[in-house]
Amino acid sequence: MTKVYVGMSGGVDSSLTAALLVEQGYDVTGVYMKNWTQDLPGMKCPWADDLADAKRVAVQLGIDFKVFDFENEYKHKVVDYMIDEYKLGRTPNPDIMCNQEVKFKLFLEAALEDGADMIATGHYARVDSGKLKMAADENKDQTYFLYRVTGEALRKTLFPLGEFTKPEVREMAEARGLFTAGKKDSQGICFVGQIGIREFLTQYVEQKPGAIIDKHTGKVLGRHDGAIFYTLGQRHGLDLGGGLPYYVVGKNMDKNEVYVTTDLNDSALWSGNVALESVHWINSQPGEGTYKIRIRHRAVLEEATLFFKDNAVRLVLAHEQRAVAPGQSVVIYDNDTVLGGGIIASAGSQV
Amino acid sequence: MDKSVIYLDHAAATPLDSRVLEAMQPYFSDAFYNPSSPYAPALNVRRAYDAAKQTLAQTIGGRGDELVMTAGATESINLAFTSIGGHVVTANIEHHAVLQVAKHHEHTIVAADEKGIVTAEVIKAAITPATRLVSIGLANNELGTIQPLRDIATAVKTERTKRLERGDMTPIYLHTDASQGAGLIDIHVSRLGVDLLTLNAGKVYGPKQVGLLWAAPHVRLAPQIMGGGQERGLRSGTENVAGTVGFSKAMELADKKRGNEVKRLQQLRDNLQKKLADAFPDAVISGHLKRRLPGHLHISFPGIDAERIVFALEMRGVLVATGSACAANKGTRSHVLTAIGLAPEVADGSLRLTLGQLSTQENTDQAAAIIIEEIIKERQRANA
Repeated sequence: MTKVYVGMSGGVDSSLTAALLVEQGYDVTGVYMKNWTQDLPGMKCPWADDLADAKRVAVQLGIDFKVFDFENEYKHKVVDYMIDEYKLGRTPNPDIMCNQEVKFKLFLEAALEDGADMIATGHYARVDSGKLKMAADENKDQTYFLYRVTGEALRKTLFPLGEFTKPEVREMAEARGLFTAGKKDSQGICFVGQIGIREFLTQYVEQKPGAIIDKHTGKVLGRHDGAIFYTLGQRHGLDLGGGLPYYVVGKNMDKNEVYVTTDLNDSALWSGNVALESVHWINSQPGEGTYKIRIRHRAVLEEATLFFKDNAVRLVLAHEQRAVAPGQSVVIYDNDTVLGGGIIASAGSQV
Repeated sequence: MDKSVIYLDHAAATPLDSRVLEAMQPYFSDAFYNPSSPYAPALNVRRAYDAAKQTLAQTIGGRGDELVMTAGATESINLAFTSIGGHVVTANIEHHAVLQVAKHHEHTIVAADEKGIVTAEVIKAAITPATRLVSIGLANNELGTIQPLRDIATAVKTERTKRLERGDMTPIYLHTDASQGAGLIDIHVSRLGVDLLTLNAGKVYGPKQVGLLWAAPHVRLAPQIMGGGQERGLRSGTENVAGTVGFSKAMELADKKRGNEVKRLQQLRDNLQKKLADAFPDAVISGHLKRRLPGHLHISFPGIDAERIVFALEMRGVLVATGSACAANKGTRSHVLTAIGLAPEVADGSLRLTLGQLSTQENTDQAAAIIIEEIIKERQRANA
């Protein structure tokens, strides 16, 4: 019997994942990955409750249950990475890093070491002989977060929820009487929770007041407490009073200045040309040509042409996109298959 | 509560007695007045409040004006420790409410023996010339072990006499958190020989967040909560009239039925213990078998993950506590079980079963059968 270790977070998705695998006849072991346990000001980290919920479902299903402790590795590979990126003025995506470094690397390795043949998670995605494919539920598809996983890892991975929509998953969990069937989905970055990235970062980086400057007039419009907290295209949180909304069009980390505009058509907000770094291909590097891309989770797929030029990987977008922020990921699709992607090094309007 | 649920966790919380609720009801609505207001209806509320405190005091052999009403036992313990200050002596099996407060003072934590008993000898050895407070819980909340408080009181008294003889005016007091024993064993303060005593209504079929600190007249308390000067200035804030009336009613009821209830619970517990021990010869029963609360059973099934059993039982409508580690406790093993030297694989397989008013012969037998089934099932699964 194939032995599958299921990452169980205590949520409805991974609970149903485990239940479906049991029904499909796998020898299933539930695993709670203990990645983050720190409370933050105003937010109690729910890990102990989540662990209890995951274990409760495991008992309900009559399967083995283990806790894998990745707290140190998670801090180094995901949280520190995120903080360092922000310090460089970029906007990283820690969930992508978590999948790359923890779930589909550490967890996979530890599970195989422990006797598993395969792993499974509750991600909304499909896997087909080492290829990563979009979920049936386009609205829920999580392949954006999975593009840095290796083909090798995918060959040992099951995504039982890939064929279902979220409402179907809830219904199936309900029908099976799973304790977590009605549990609310977690929001945002797992360890940041509801408090927001800004509050989280203030635990780790000093707040440094600086100027918010109108890009066109050069006039100082107000103060901010650190350029690090601002992202290209950001509209909220500028606290500049009434009138037209302002958007962040740039920042200077050395001078700790944030530049804004009220002009949504400002060329600095729009990019048609993206240079990628840390490029990762799930199986093999595709040829140059026209593909579909996505610059953020759940964004509509856009057409783009892929070039390889002087060791650089570039994308020319068919339509300019707003707020293509350095540090974020671009994921490249061939129809419903994820080829891979990269991290935005720079983006601009010029080809 | 759902009638089909079998509740075996009376040491954690008790259901409000309907007669207690009835006694409390008027003070939420009709008699809502502030006891400090000057008009007659408010004065009646004040009288009811004072009478409730008087009744409460009587159940422990004290006087109404020796009580400070608090929001639960934790506050009461904090008030006792912070008022007395100085070096404190307490034991390694005490509740977190005591151990955490003790940490804020110069302290010596003595070790209980393997049955969870804190002897007068270890207390005596730990007392220094600077010791001002000894605090030992009347009955341990995990093991149910009842402490030899009178012997400890004698040790404290001996030290007090010695100090007086040499002209040393440093006071030394004995405090006990009697929350777990109230309603089940004698908590008469002069018979216990204590100077301060903590009680918690939530453990005796009264309301939660209602507690008290009794202090003998010679003990000087210092307020932690400042304000309007209620409770003789020792605990400001408008009196919790309904809570205090309920607490008083609960203690009164417990006192009345104590003799019979103790016998009843003891019998139920002994039956339950026998059934489980017969079914699992390797089961380990912790605590002192004789000096134990009547409804309390701490039992370990070596090699079993007790938390799985708790969840499995929960799904079958039987509510029990793990005797040790549980995820909700952040996976840390119980400090009490570590203190009495229980091996980790035994400690991790521990259940705490505590009987009380909701327990009957029928539902306890039923629970025993379900527990046995689930443990057999779990052992089979783990060995598969």
